[in-house]
Amino acid sequence: MKNSPLLGKFRKPDGEPHMLGAMQRLTGSMRKYSEQDEVDYVVVGVGAGGGVLTQRLSRAGFRVVAFDAGPFWDTERDWVSDESGSHKLYWTQKRVTGGTHPLAFGSNNSGQGVGGSTVHWASFTPRLHPSDFQIHTLDGVGVDWPISYSDLKPYYELMELELPVSGPAYFPWGDPHGYAFGPHPMGGVGNALIKGCTNLGIEVSAGGPVAILEGSRADRPHCIYRGFCIQGCKVGAKASTLITHVPDAIRSGAEIRANCMVARVNLGRDGRVRGVTYFDEEGREHTQKARAVVISGYSIETPRLLLNSACPGFENGLANSSDCVGRYLMAQAGNVVLGRFGEPVRMYKAPPAHALTEAFYETDPKRDFARGFAVQTVGPLPIAFAKQMMVAKGAWGWGLRRVMMDYNHWAGFGFLGEILPHAENRVQLADETDGFGLPVAKVTFGLGDNDKKLTDFGVKKTMEIMSAAGAEEVVQEQRYAHLVGAARMGKDPRTSVVDQFGRTHDIPNLFICDGSIMPTQGSANPGLTIMALAARIADYLITQGADIFTSNERSDRISAIRRELAPPDTWGHGMPRIEAPVQPVSS
Amino acid sequence: MTRDLLETGESLPPADDAATLKRDAEMADLHIREGRFQRWLALAAGLSSVLSGLEVSYEHYKGSYSRPVMYTPVILSGTLALAGVAGFFSRRSANTLLPAVSAITLADSVIGFYFHVQGIRRKPGGWRLPVVNIVMGPPIFAPLLFGTSAYLGLVASFLRRGDDGGDVVPRSASKAHWAASLSGMHETIDAGQDLREGRFQQHMVAATILASFLSGFEAAYSHYKNNFRYGVQWTPLIVSPMLMAAGVAALKSKRAAHTVLPAVSALAMLNGSIGFGYHVRGIFRRPGGSKKLLYNIIYGPPVFAPLLFAASGFLGVLASLLRREE
Repeated sequence: MKNSPLLGKFRKPDGEPHMLGAMQRLTGSMRKYSEQDEVDYVVVGVGAGGGVLTQRLSRAGFRVVAFDAGPFWDTERDWVSDESGSHKLYWTQKRVTGGTHPLAFGSNNSGQGVGGSTVHWASFTPRLHPSDFQIHTLDGVGVDWPISYSDLKPYYELMELELPVSGPAYFPWGDPHGYAFGPHPMGGVGNALIKGCTNLGIEVSAGGPVAILEGSRADRPHCIYRGFCIQGCKVGAKASTLITHVPDAIRSGAEIRANCMVARVNLGRDGRVRGVTYFDEEGREHTQKARAVVISGYSIETPRLLLNSACPGFENGLANSSDCVGRYLMAQAGNVVLGRFGEPVRMYKAPPAHALTEAFYETDPKRDFARGFAVQTVGPLPIAFAKQMMVAKGAWGWGLRRVMMDYNHWAGFGFLGEILPHAENRVQLADETDGFGLPVAKVTFGLGDNDKKLTDFGVKKTMEIMSAAGAEEVVQEQRYAHLVGAARMGKDPRTSVVDQFGRTHDIPNLFICDGSIMPTQGSANPGLTIMALAARIADYLITQGADIFTSNERSDRISAIRRELAPPDTWGHGMPRIEAPVQPVSS
Repeated sequence: MTRDLLETGESLPPADDAATLKRDAEMADLHIREGRFQRWLALAAGLSSVLSGLEVSYEHYKGSYSRPVMYTPVILSGTLALAGVAGFFSRRSANTLLPAVSAITLADSVIGFYFHVQGIRRKPGGWRLPVVNIVMGPPIFAPLLFGTSAYLGLVASFLRRGDDGGDVVPRSASKAHWAASLSGMHETIDAGQDLREGRFQQHMVAATILASFLSGFEAAYSHYKNNFRYGVQWTPLIVSPMLMAAGVAALKSKRAAHTVLPAVSALAMLNGSIGFGYHVRGIFRRPGGSKKLLYNIIYGPPVFAPLLFAASGFLGVLASLLRREE
């Protein structure tokens, strides 16, 4: 008693609850299906797309098993606030990369484990601009989407509430809009971006849009600006589907089958898929029967799974009669521009994502290239910074040591430029195999003429902004960010893999729901768009009901947006922006 | 000069002017001493409510209005501002609408205090890490300070208007004031009698001490958050205890209430005004300055907070002009 603290003890862990962030506990048990059960949907991959889709389908009453190749994180026990200790969050399995501009994989574009890349995204969540949906019509480059901005707009608005997204009350670019959660305070890098932009007369958005809580919401605390966003936010302030949608999916009766690597999708004699074959944690092979399958593995693993599922009738890969599976892979030019300031900047403080400008987003006839770019804040921690300095300045040995001692004086801006879709940028199967004996992905990537001009111009402009902010030395590292494409959607089955609802043109009960269906990428971070597409696909599947499982007929019928499918915590917080559901569904 | 003014007929000669001013000042002093300043206190309550309303609007915006209850002070401060202005023009409003809105706002500020305490408790470590969580959590005493204008409104509702007759009991107050009867603290036939007659100096001094403590505490940890980067940030921490001490002295001694209390109170008002200037300067010195004005008001130094500190000085000055309870 003598040693008991004055105001009571810290809370003791009772029965070791599964924690999602500092405050959210996963209570209750998860439903388990047996392999003999023919479930309604198997979802392969629980990331941005798969997480939202699983939550929607199970809330609507479907029986869903969602697979993920990685673990189901308990954020309090599994995550650390350490840069090198967080490498297990990334998909670091073997991949072969090549082409004229080979992509690097891992921290910046691929996740594994429940939540997928949203676990380690910086969580910038801008929308695409209306022009992004028709760049072929407007600019004569790339390809048009089979849908328009107005199809996706209500889903953008809804996802911005579900995550929720913090940002300014008025965001001026694209389709101007405001955010229900307020903007974040600036860190040193955000201040530099604001200074640089205002000095040059460029409009700049301060404090978002970013899917990090500004103000706590229900059982998720607000951001504490510790800067470990892309190492997995232990606080639970940064949105990831792991903490925003998966808990509601489990409460609604979905099974999340973690640590299970899906090897192939099984096709029946009737030309419809029957389920998936997968390896469990111990490497044993299992089969799960399902009435429909949704692949949400992102731009490398989705085409890899389709190609690995080749079978009689689909010798070139499942749903690949168009030869588009794996093609039109895109990454955004993501050069990092670093500037040294006389005053300390301390870019590790505050989220890396907190200010941006989209003033250069649209095609400008005065420039000699189509489309545009965004400039955003980044906040590399020391290991990432060391790598960047190695590339940008050739720093090595004692020189690198000296640069690293100077870390507090540097600020980083991320250039984010649109790279157009090219058929020769693609994912194929390599000769090598992974631990399960499955052929790994071989990725070929190169830049076109427009891409190079855009990058040159944009990097120069970003460096100008850095100088205008007062940097005395400005350097840059070439890099790529965000993957999309490789199973694109379109109206024509000869040039695309899926239709506007993610339904493969070849197989009526096989769907794709992730970033790989995006035909072009804009220069917005793709996360919010992937989630909005997933919510729209879910609305379609729910509208179609059992027809998906029994009929080969294709209908384009989709109901009005179902706001009642949002997790219940969505409502009653923030500034009113869109109307709440008239009749919320009781769980 | 004088001739010019006379010729243009724009002003009275300075001698008369000074006399009028002196007479007006004596009149005002008498009115306050006798509790005949309902109109002006109602107006002061309304205007201060505008300031605290603006303050709470952007502070809660910073918290993204993540609970619906966070809207209540925004709505109430607007309502109180209207009620205060209405009370300036209409006796009826001052005696009915103003005390009702003030009482609700005062209750809301106590409820807000509860939520802010809960907000601190909810943070990791809760009250086990009081220093960290008070500094980083919701501003603990801000809701109570928000109640200052409601308190003024409530006091105003008891007072007499300047044109009321010399009766101790005004026409409208033959029945006990309902708000006073709620408090149930008097056994006299008329609960609001002391207030109406301006006999509540010690009461107002107590309010001054409380407001001074609350705003001084807020200034202390807010400036601590900024590491007292500017020397001037220490001044409210010095003035606030001084005002509290002067208040304690004034509680005991009538003499102190008429000497040291008004002096220190005026100092607090001056300090708050200077602080307001510094806070405005701080906003313009942020990156983007006036080009990102709204954003910089939200995340710059809290622009109206020093004026809330000055408000505690205002209470002190007011107290010094009143008569003591019998």
